[in-house]
Amino acid sequence: MRERTRLLLLLGPAVALVGGLVLGALGLALLRSLRLLPLEEPGLSAYASVLASPGVLASLALSFWIATVSTLIAAGLALAAAMLLRQAFPGRRLVAVLVQLNLTIPHVVGAIGILYLISQSGSFARLAHAAGLIAAPGEFPALTHDPWAIGIILTYVWKEVPFITLILLAKLQTLGPDLGPVARSLGATRWQAFRFVLLPQLLPALAAGAALVFAFAFGAYEVPLVLGAHAPEALPLRAWRSFTDVDLAARPEAFAISILIAALGAGLLALHARLILPRRGRDAG
Amino acid sequence: MLRSLAALLLLSAAALADTADGEALKAMGWDQIVNEARGGTVNWFMWGGADNINAYASDYIGTALKRDYDITLNRVPITDAAEIVNLILSEKEAGVTDNGTVDLIWINGENFRSMKEAGLAFCGYTSLLPNDALVDWDNPAIANDFGVPVVGCEVPWNTVQFAFAHDSAVLAEPPRDMAGLLAWIRANPGRFTYPAPPDFTGSAFVRHVFIHAAGGPEGLLGPFDQVKFDAVAGKTWAILNGLEPFLWREGATYPTTVTQLNELFANGEVAFSFNYDPAQFGLAVQAGLWPETTRSFGLRDGTIGNTNYTLIPFNSPNKAAAMVTQNLLLSGEAQLEKARTEIWGAAPAIEISRTPPAVQAGFAAIKTHPSVIPASELAKSALPELQAGWLTAIEAGWATNVGN
Repeated sequence: MRERTRLLLLLGPAVALVGGLVLGALGLALLRSLRLLPLEEPGLSAYASVLASPGVLASLALSFWIATVSTLIAAGLALAAAMLLRQAFPGRRLVAVLVQLNLTIPHVVGAIGILYLISQSGSFARLAHAAGLIAAPGEFPALTHDPWAIGIILTYVWKEVPFITLILLAKLQTLGPDLGPVARSLGATRWQAFRFVLLPQLLPALAAGAALVFAFAFGAYEVPLVLGAHAPEALPLRAWRSFTDVDLAARPEAFAISILIAALGAGLLALHARLILPRRGRDAG
Repeated sequence: MLRSLAALLLLSAAALADTADGEALKAMGWDQIVNEARGGTVNWFMWGGADNINAYASDYIGTALKRDYDITLNRVPITDAAEIVNLILSEKEAGVTDNGTVDLIWINGENFRSMKEAGLAFCGYTSLLPNDALVDWDNPAIANDFGVPVVGCEVPWNTVQFAFAHDSAVLAEPPRDMAGLLAWIRANPGRFTYPAPPDFTGSAFVRHVFIHAAGGPEGLLGPFDQVKFDAVAGKTWAILNGLEPFLWREGATYPTTVTQLNELFANGEVAFSFNYDPAQFGLAVQAGLWPETTRSFGLRDGTIGNTNYTLIPFNSPNKAAAMVTQNLLLSGEAQLEKARTEIWGAAPAIEISRTPPAVQAGFAAIKTHPSVIPASELAKSALPELQAGWLTAIEAGWATNVGN
C-alpha cells in the first residue's frame, strides 16, 4: 500500500498534466469534430466534408511522403552516426557534440535557416551566381516550396538525426562494448557481427525513435508553413486554415483533421507497441 | 482546479474597472463615460507586423491615453484578425459574456462580417464619440465595410487603396492598366507572381483580375449573385490559368503570404510587389529592404480601396476605456500624426475639412515618400471593394480551378 501511494505521488503530476491538458484538449477536439455542441447538429458531417474536400488526398499523401522519407533517411543516417561514434577515434568527442548540437535548436529556426541557405535567392544560389553557374535566381533548382518537399524533408533529417542518434547511443551504452568483439572472435565477419548481433539489439530503440519522428513529422505545422508549396498543403496546415476560415462553420472540419492526425499517430505507436515491444522483452531482456 | 484558478484570475482582473455593461454606457453622456474609463486597461489586439505602426500605437496613442485619461494601453500583436474572431467566438461558446480578453481589435472585411453575423460586436454606440462628427458616414466606402453595413458596430481608422510597386532602375516604365500588366507578364516569363488566396493581398489581386474579366465593377456590386459569378469566374480562371506558365516557377507554386512576395521582390526574383497599404513600400525602402529606386503606381482602370476599423467585442470588460481610445484614434491630431510619412503614412479616415485649421495645415504640409504614390493620385481611379460573399466565392473558386 505504501509503495502504491508513493507511486501515485510520483506519477501524479505527470498524469495530471497529460490527462488534464492533453487528453482534455483531445476530448474537446473530438466533441467539436462530432459537432457535439449546443446549436449544432451532431454527426459525422465534418469528417465527411473533410474527406470529400478537394485536394485532401493529395494533402494526406504529401504528409505521408514527408514523414516516411524524413524518417527513413534520418534513421539510416542516425544508425551510421551511432555506429561511428561508438568507436574510438581522435576528435570523437568534438564530432559527438557537433552531431548533437542542433537538438537544442527549435524546428522553426532550422526551417528558416534552411530557407536562407537553399532557396532560389538563398546563400547557395548567391554563391552559384558569384561563381557564374547561374545568371538569375530562377535558374537555381527549386529546393524550397517545391512539389517534392525537399526543403521540409531536409529540415526534418537535419533535426531528427541527432535525436535518433542519441537514443541509439544510450542503448549502445547499456549493451556494452563486448558484443561485437565476441561475435568477431567466434568467426563472424564485421557485417555479420553488425547484422545478426548488434542490429537486432538496436532495433527496438531504432523503431521507437523512428515512430516518434514519423508521428512528429506527420503532425507538425511550422516546417511546412515556412518551406511548403501553396498546394498541396500538409495536413496540419489544412487544419489550421479550416480553423481560421472566415466561414465559422468550417471549424469542426479543423478538429476532424486534427483528430485524424492524432489517430494516425496513436495507431502508429500502438503498432510499435504490438510488434516491437514484445520482441524487446525476448531479445534484449 | 484549473478552471477555478482561471476564474479567480479573471475575476480579480475584472474587479478593477468593469465597464462591461454596454447598454448602461449608451445611456451616459460622454463626460461620464470618460470618468468611467479612468484607470481602465485596453487590450488592443492588432496586426503587429510593422514596427512603425506598433510604435505609433504604443508610444503616441499609449502615452496620450495614460497622460490624458489614466488609461493603460496593452497592445497585443497578432498576425491575423481571424484568430481573434475565433478567440472571441470560443469565449462566447464558453459563456464568457462580460469579462472577455479583447477590448479592442483592428479589423475589416470578412472578419467584421463574421463578428457581426455571430453577434460578437458591441454596436450602436459610435455616435456617442465626440470625434464621430469628423467621419463622413454618407460616404458608402466608410459606411460599408466590404459591402457590409457598419451601423454603429465599428469606428473607421484608416483608408487604403491597392497599389503596385516596381524598381524603376530595373523597369523604367511599368504597365498602367490590367490588360497591359497581363501582357507584360506573358512577355517576361518568371518575373511575376501573386500570393495564393486566401492570403489577404493575393485575394485582392485576384479580385482585380475578376473585375477586369467582368469588364468593370458595375455588375458585381450588391450581394453575391451565383449566375453573375459563374459567368465572370470562367473567364477569370481562363486568364489566370493561361498566365500560369509565365509566372514565377511556371506557376507550379505560389507564395503563401504577401511577406514572401515582398522577399521575392527584395531579392529581385520578381519585378512587382503590391499592397493594400502603399505606405508599406516607403517603409520597406526606409528599412533598407527595398531599393531606393522603388516606385509605385495604380492602374488606369482603377485599384480597389477600402477602409479599416477598430471594433469593441461584445464581452469586453473595458468598453468605456476602449471607446475613449477609439475617440482618440479618430481625433484630427492622431490622424495627422499617423499620416506623417516618417511615422506611418496612413491615409486618414476622417474628413480633413472638418478638423481645426492647425490640423488642416499639418495635412497640407505632408510630403509623401518618393516610393509611395500619393493617396490623392490613386483615388483618381478607384474601384469599390466587393461584398464578402463574392470574396469567399472567388477564393474558393481560385483554390479549385487555379491553385491546384
